Amino acid sequence: MVPFGGWDMPLSYGNGTVSEHLNCRSDAVVFDVSHLGTVRVEGGQAKELLQQALTNDLDKIAPGRAQYTHLLDTDASVLDDIIVWWIDEQTFDVMPNASNTSRVIEAISGQDTTESRAILAVQGPRARERVRTFSDKAADVPRFEVQRVEMFGTQCVVAGTGYTGEDGIEIAAPLNVAERIFDALLGAGITPAGLGARDTLRLEAGLPLHGHELGPGITPLHAGLGWVVAWNKGDFRGREALAKIRDAGLDRKLVGISTSGRRPPREGCSVVSHGNQIGTTTSGNFSPILNHGIAFAFVDLAHVEPGTEVSVDVRGTELPGHVVKTPFVKKRIG
Amino acid sequence: MNIPSDLRYTKDHEWVKVSGRTARIGITDYAQDALGDVVFVELPQINASFSPGESISEVESTKSVSEIYTPLAGTVSAVNTALEETPELINSDPYGDGWLCELEIGDASSADSLLDAAAYRALVEN
Repeated sequence: MVPFGGWDMPLSYGNGTVSEHLNCRSDAVVFDVSHLGTVRVEGGQAKELLQQALTNDLDKIAPGRAQYTHLLDTDASVLDDIIVWWIDEQTFDVMPNASNTSRVIEAISGQDTTESRAILAVQGPRARERVRTFSDKAADVPRFEVQRVEMFGTQCVVAGTGYTGEDGIEIAAPLNVAERIFDALLGAGITPAGLGARDTLRLEAGLPLHGHELGPGITPLHAGLGWVVAWNKGDFRGREALAKIRDAGLDRKLVGISTSGRRPPREGCSVVSHGNQIGTTTSGNFSPILNHGIAFAFVDLAHVEPGTEVSVDVRGTELPGHVVKTPFVKKRIG
Repeated sequence: MNIPSDLRYTKDHEWVKVSGRTARIGITDYAQDALGDVVFVELPQINASFSPGESISEVESTKSVSEIYTPLAGTVSAVNTALEETPELINSDPYGDGWLCELEIGDASSADSLLDAAAYRALVEN
């Protein structure tokens, strides 16, 4: 167990991070991600409030769907990256990262319901098939849709979302039934996975983590996430600053780097080209699927093209590598 | 916690097995468990010489990197090349197939000052 954003979280269960990682890619695992925040925003003004706070456009979706979006600071830095579950017409569950919940509440108000529910993320190519053995309705919630589903006599919210690059669902369950659902998932042959595998899986899937690829001084545009910014929807927090940065042009961008050999590149390593530092890694590890190192890095614009040869300086050892398109491991779902 | 009685130990969680003038070195069950899944090992060069306390190897897991310090002076006579492709042997068999390297040591008695199994168990269980 390790402390994480104010929670005690399992880094891995009995069989270790690599085994958990491979189970998720080949079968199905469950993560207890109750540490994610939930902020319930309700009422006739809820949608407009979120439209003015967040970068993405809820008019692209509809009630019963989920959307990835950003909350920006006034200087256009990403304060948090968020999934919004639009549960019904006037009910939204806004899901910040654990340590950012209070900032998000400051920006959008709403009610912190984090401690009233557990969230179980069931991920992997066989996730739905295994969940179906005890809940058809949960298993059948489509990708990026959100539904209220009764499980063991208690109403839960199930979304077709996740953070692994695999298909799967996330179940928000009231505390009285959370443990029974977790046991049912284990009984269905789904194995538990911890924070360690969650990190290596999201990295392979090319998904950013706040505090690494997103944070102070980093805008969605720097992170290659311009698609979460809906310029056509009207004003939103940070828009003016972001437009200035867009118009002035970026000086650096987030890229994926593949390194040769098994040695893991780590966060904070220099990215080097012909002896000059041209960037810095933000996350890195050994990829259990690819069997070599992978990293995210911010690099100068001259070095962002896929195929560009760069090396990563890991405590004095230069790992040869090159810029690649992310995801490092292709998604199996749309 | 597996702590074989025929080995010597360091407070940095290495084990040493001395046979004649050869000392085989690895990391303990406690160390591999604390590190988590090992994904990369940097082994020393054959014939490289080390003084006690020098870093002789690096063991990297998905979560961190750990320097391995030789407790004895010596010259590297063998390295476990199986770890290059299957570093997870350190997790599955830390005292057997997961050994790191062997040193030729000048003084076979130099390991006598290291912890015995009982002392090491007291260290990790307190």
